Amino acid sequence: MANTLTAAQKNHRRRILRRNLVAYSFIAPNFIGFAVFTLGPIIAAFVMAFMKWDGNNPAEFVGVQNFLAIFGDDRFISALKNTAIYAVFTVPFTLIIALALAILLNQKIRGRNFFRTVTFFPYVASLVAVAAVWNMLFTPAKGGIVNQVFLHLGLTPLKWAASPKTVLMTIILFSIWKNMGYYMVIYLAGLQGVNGELYEAASLDGANAWQKFCYVTVPQLRPTTFFVTIILTINCFKVYDIVYMLAGGSNGIVNKSAVVLVYYIYEEAFGNWRLGTASAAALVLFAIVLVITLIQFRGEKNFSAD
Amino acid sequence: MRKRIVSVVLAGLMAGMTIMGCGSSSSATADQAPADESATSAGTETSAAATEAADTESGEEVTLKWALWDISSTVYYQPLIDAFEAEHPDIKIEMVDLGSTDYSTVLGTQLSGSGSDFDVVTIKDVPGYMTLVNKGVLTNLNDKISADGIDLSQYGGVTDQVTIDGNLYELPFRSDIWVLFYNKDVFDKAGVSYPTNDMTWERYDEIARSLTDTTAGAEVYGAHYHTWRSTVMLDGILDGQHSAVDGTYDWTKPYYEMVVKEQQDGVCQDYATLKTQGLHYSDAFAQGNVGMMNMGSWFIATLIQKIKDGEYTDCTNWGMVKYPHADGVEPGSTLGTITALSLPTSAPHPDEAWEFIKFVSGEKGAEVMASTGNIPAMTNDDIVNSIASMDGFPQDDTSKDALVTSNVYLEMPANDKSSEIEEVLNNEHDLIMTESESVDEGIQNMNDGVQAILAE
Repeated sequence: MANTLTAAQKNHRRRILRRNLVAYSFIAPNFIGFAVFTLGPIIAAFVMAFMKWDGNNPAEFVGVQNFLAIFGDDRFISALKNTAIYAVFTVPFTLIIALALAILLNQKIRGRNFFRTVTFFPYVASLVAVAAVWNMLFTPAKGGIVNQVFLHLGLTPLKWAASPKTVLMTIILFSIWKNMGYYMVIYLAGLQGVNGELYEAASLDGANAWQKFCYVTVPQLRPTTFFVTIILTINCFKVYDIVYMLAGGSNGIVNKSAVVLVYYIYEEAFGNWRLGTASAAALVLFAIVLVITLIQFRGEKNFSAD
Repeated sequence: MRKRIVSVVLAGLMAGMTIMGCGSSSSATADQAPADESATSAGTETSAAATEAADTESGEEVTLKWALWDISSTVYYQPLIDAFEAEHPDIKIEMVDLGSTDYSTVLGTQLSGSGSDFDVVTIKDVPGYMTLVNKGVLTNLNDKISADGIDLSQYGGVTDQVTIDGNLYELPFRSDIWVLFYNKDVFDKAGVSYPTNDMTWERYDEIARSLTDTTAGAEVYGAHYHTWRSTVMLDGILDGQHSAVDGTYDWTKPYYEMVVKEQQDGVCQDYATLKTQGLHYSDAFAQGNVGMMNMGSWFIATLIQKIKDGEYTDCTNWGMVKYPHADGVEPGSTLGTITALSLPTSAPHPDEAWEFIKFVSGEKGAEVMASTGNIPAMTNDDIVNSIASMDGFPQDDTSKDALVTSNVYLEMPANDKSSEIEEVLNNEHDLIMTESESVDEGIQNMNDGVQAILAE
């Protein structure tokens, strides 16, 4: 019985095979692209992290040497620290501001579309262009526009991106301002998905606006918040362009008060041509993001189980 | 359980995305490893084919790709090409502008793997040169030089400074020295007598201070320092006893102290502001409120051209003198920078490219360079005189004499680790000049950082 398949069974198998092949062929274009440009390089980075390679001469196996080297490198430690500080401040502030803006701009106010556009604009504008404008506004000279405002308010003018004490703060401010519009739009979409009947029911129960926010809006937005937090955290660890534009200045020197992980990786790979240590640093970055994401997934699950 | 696996995989993928953004390094690795071999073999094939083509059918036109920067603001590229093409009608030159800020990095990336089809590449500085030599992507020119009987002594000894283990990988065509430019109008207005060709740093500082006016809105700056490390730190190497790859940098102290003090007193513009605003040194000088500025001789050609075009109107009355010097050091000691051409190992047309390199770095190239107001690497008194007698060159004897040097020290000597050393020095320069750390702290960090690199 097992060996002698009936004609009907054979026919059935063939049909399933054909169906699967069709399905695979639809996946193929995307998957091939993913395999060549994403999966391959990721695997290569894992291999390269244990090699010494300058991009041209033959690579040489060095074991964990690269990892020892980066953890002994002052600049890498600074990069780790700066990236962490950047993420710790950027994530919550962007989240809160984006949510606040979304709630404000979800009200039926006059000129709502105009304000939505204004908030979203920094996100679509070219980074290089807005960074140049930002640099003019926040110029470290006493005559700078923002510093003039500070002087009139009786505050001490700051050196902004030019001083190691304030450079990270400047980068964080810029990043929040530039990206809040994007997350606001995601929150807006989330808010539109909240069932109006819930607010009605809450009103009938005598809930005030704050209670409605706490007990209806926030729980209903939980999936959105979860998504935003993960994407924001990952983006924070990937930051590079903003740092280069704001802290690099005309001579491109990003000193250790502003260096971030991805910039360090770039520098190691294409400035010093040590692709091994660069890959090792990339793996460390990978591990950090993996751990954070796992914690968030677990937290989310416990939360929704409540 | 299954859900859990799915979520772990999902999390892994998301984290994996981070490698993507930053992992241009890794993507380069994967793409290049196999491509490398094919590049070498393809390279040899094409070069063989090219040689053959050149031998058999010399009538066929060959186009060489030349990597360089700032086409629009550099006056000598086109004249060099025109002169070469007139002599070699079957060879055409195509310029590829890689931009000036990241030139060496971009070039290094281009020459890795099989992506490049450059025949000739310009080498901007010594760290960039060392990186490419270490990567093994430049052709050793020793055989070609001896086969064609090129006399390296014509380059006044600079080729010795970039010869690595007896091998030379570049031929210089432009050689710049640093001088002190000054705006005569600023001096006349302040009633201060012009600087001279024999000036100590103390005297220079005095003059700068006497020119300065800190009135808000009508500031006059006695001195101007561009944001490069060379403008401050390297003033210290002119005694011939120190270099930027020393490992100890205590000799930079007087110069950093002088400039930081000037910055605090408003004698020069604030480094932090210059850096964030990206003010170009030529624009700073052209504003007409800068008394003196130390800069390379490449600025001569720009000044002459822009004044002729009517673009610069507030610095038309300029002059230049020799670099100031420390007490007891011979006047005319100055910093030097060479710009050179190299032949990549992957060049599709190496023979034609070598012709071009020989031409540009040789006598005919030198004439073209001089006619555009640039100092060629192959220089002699006639060439210096011809630059000094150019239309638009200041006519006082001091300025003409300023180009005569006694000792020239390369900004960065050839060293295996020069690009890493430079990174440390640049960072500390940045921290000192933004007054984020004291001069002493900065120097201590330079010493520690560079010694650690040298000990590796």
